[in-house]
Amino acid sequence: MTDAHLTRRTLLRYGAYGAGAAALAGTAASWDRLTGADIPGRDDGSLVVATLGPAYGPEAIRTLTEGFKQVHPDIKLRINAVQAVDWSDFFAKILTQIAAGTAPDLVYVATEGVQLFAQRLGVPLDDWVKRDAEELREYFADVHPSLVESMMYEGSLYQLPVEFNAADMYLNNQVLKRAGADFPAADWTRDDFTGLLRDMKKSSGSQFTPYFWTNRLWGGVVPWLFANDTNLLAESKAPGGAWLWDSFYPAAQRQGRGGGFRWTTPQATDARVEEAYDYLASLVQEGLCSRPEGGNGQNLIGVFSTGRVGVTPAGGFWAGGLHLAGMKADSFDVQYFPRWRTQRMQYGAAGYALLRTSKRQEEAWEFIKYAARRDTLMRLFETNQTTPARRSMLTAERYRETGPNHWQVFYDTLDKFPDTGPIPAPPQVAEVEQVLLKHTGTALASRRSVAPALRRMQSDLEKAMERDV
Amino acid sequence: MTNTQIPAVRPKQPAAQPAPAPGPSTRDRGTRLLATLFLAPTIVGIVVFTVVPIVGSVVLSLFHWNVIDDPRFAGAANYREVFTDSTVLVSFGNTLVFMVFAVALQLLIALVLALAVNGRMPVWLRSVFRSAFFFPLVLSAASISVVMKYLFNQDFGVVNWLLGLVGVAPVPWLTSENAAMATVILVYVWQQFGFSFLLFVGGLNNIPKEVHEAASLDGATGLRKHLSITLPLLSPTLLVASVVGIINALQVFEQPYVLTNGGPGDATRTVVMVIYESAFEQLRFGEASAVGVLLFVLIMAVTALQFRLSRRFVHYQ
Repeated sequence: MTDAHLTRRTLLRYGAYGAGAAALAGTAASWDRLTGADIPGRDDGSLVVATLGPAYGPEAIRTLTEGFKQVHPDIKLRINAVQAVDWSDFFAKILTQIAAGTAPDLVYVATEGVQLFAQRLGVPLDDWVKRDAEELREYFADVHPSLVESMMYEGSLYQLPVEFNAADMYLNNQVLKRAGADFPAADWTRDDFTGLLRDMKKSSGSQFTPYFWTNRLWGGVVPWLFANDTNLLAESKAPGGAWLWDSFYPAAQRQGRGGGFRWTTPQATDARVEEAYDYLASLVQEGLCSRPEGGNGQNLIGVFSTGRVGVTPAGGFWAGGLHLAGMKADSFDVQYFPRWRTQRMQYGAAGYALLRTSKRQEEAWEFIKYAARRDTLMRLFETNQTTPARRSMLTAERYRETGPNHWQVFYDTLDKFPDTGPIPAPPQVAEVEQVLLKHTGTALASRRSVAPALRRMQSDLEKAMERDV
Repeated sequence: MTNTQIPAVRPKQPAAQPAPAPGPSTRDRGTRLLATLFLAPTIVGIVVFTVVPIVGSVVLSLFHWNVIDDPRFAGAANYREVFTDSTVLVSFGNTLVFMVFAVALQLLIALVLALAVNGRMPVWLRSVFRSAFFFPLVLSAASISVVMKYLFNQDFGVVNWLLGLVGVAPVPWLTSENAAMATVILVYVWQQFGFSFLLFVGGLNNIPKEVHEAASLDGATGLRKHLSITLPLLSPTLLVASVVGIINALQVFEQPYVLTNGGPGDATRTVVMVIYESAFEQLRFGEASAVGVLLFVLIMAVTALQFRLSRRFVHYQ
């Protein structure tokens, strides 16, 4: 048994402990929240640009940094190449940096994240574009308005696109030859496509997949929805944007342009969406294409280059990838996505978004202009790891070594089909993408499961779109 | 000494007072201080990296927060959302199914192999087996899963290619709702059973040989000895292995994330995957924290239940 009475000395000691703890708690409570920026040396006054790491290797970083230094010796630049497996992973890491108080000034953002960044984090570039209109005239003349429109949100421009990739069809020439098939015509149809896959299947072994695709927002089911004249979410355009179109584009090119895309009501149960899914399910059932979960871009180059895949949708980025994998320029080729109800195709673009939290906005704008310059992009995209946003960069010389023979397809997807549209990517894009991937897997299990899976997709999409990001 | 020295009548003593508790000696105080100093880094580590995040998660679960805007108080809204979200509920079901099969299989394989390795075998061969079984555990789960994804690919995987050589049609290892969970469990168990295996090898070595010898003299067979001697004496090790196994299994993430990304549909989506997706992909940190808190409660409950049940089944020498 212990003494319940405290001695005066003990009481004084506990009192001192309590006072100390209260003082510490008070100090902590009154302190401004500590962030990563408080770490000494973290903020060295540089303009910080966050890029998607795998796309920006050391060589690209050096090119950007040294080139920018020559033009703006007074601005210190730091490229922060964030390692991420895909765009959603990249955005997650950028948001973590923002939460940690170490937000970059500029972030490389693809179509998937344009509206999220514009709505929550981005600064419209309108005033700068108007101010430096003369300097930018040459840029806009060289860049297709569809790409620019995909970087607009509610009438304002948030990025200058520097690259894009349309979902075109790559074909393995060795497989075509084996099947005794000709290279398809530019206006080939969905039925021509199916026939080609059947010919390929007949002439190849059991370890062969005629059509390989990856279940994702770009290049998965969505291009088939575009071809069937429908989309995952109802599509419309925001008003505004005339300030840009009237200043930089001739009447023919600015017709029908608005202030950026709006993706609103989910329409997964639309008859044409169901028709597109039913078509893909029939291809799966017939053994003409990979199942959605089996489709994985990571080993695609390997199976395509060794003739185990005949056709796959990919953009200009694949020319460099296949070349690096050892494929000769004439061993593969590219054609437009096949026609169904329309031959409207899908693309995704990317550029630099300026964050509201940046304290170096003028310097950041100078970097945005620098990054969109032709000479910068010429140095940056030497290996054809993407399709440059500037039309003038797509030349026979550029594709002589890597191929493909029909390299004109890359930019002509925009020029010859000006209604070609961007990835449907509202601010809630992460959840929309997850819902799409999840239910696509279930829908394509069999033709009977298409309709129930699309009903569930519709319900989940409605829930996702109602949520505020 | 004589009695005469004792006074006949004792002087009146005051009422007996309890002796004051002896204070710690200087030596004791030194020992305590030293012990506190040694424990301090661990205590600080637990507080900073375990207690604070747990409390932080509980607090965050009461707010709506998307990283970008300031947090807004939500009360129990995040918990209501969790209980009405079919994906979350399915993920809890998947995780429990995963836990049951993964842990049972893992313990069974580890026990059988530990008994086999503990039998008559050259020492060098025993070392080879021990290293081989433990090796997958030191590899990164994500890297293993990437490799396994290639091996189990329905169209181009080595596993189906090998099966094809003996006339078996391609198995949809990762693309069928029925097969995907089984494949994820298989990959997980292959990587994890080495830990339980090592525990069992240690536990078997601690069982005195005399007990087995005495049983042999009494005429007990191999199976009887395992059932009546080995298993009861190994029960404390089994308890540890199952507690650790269940806690790990309830937190599984890398294997299903890399192998199937939770699909097909939600067939292999686990609770930790939902937490990751809600927080870092959909920017719903409050809801993710609510799911995290529920998982924490589930783990605590299952572990407590195990210890409770262990009173009946665990025998200490």
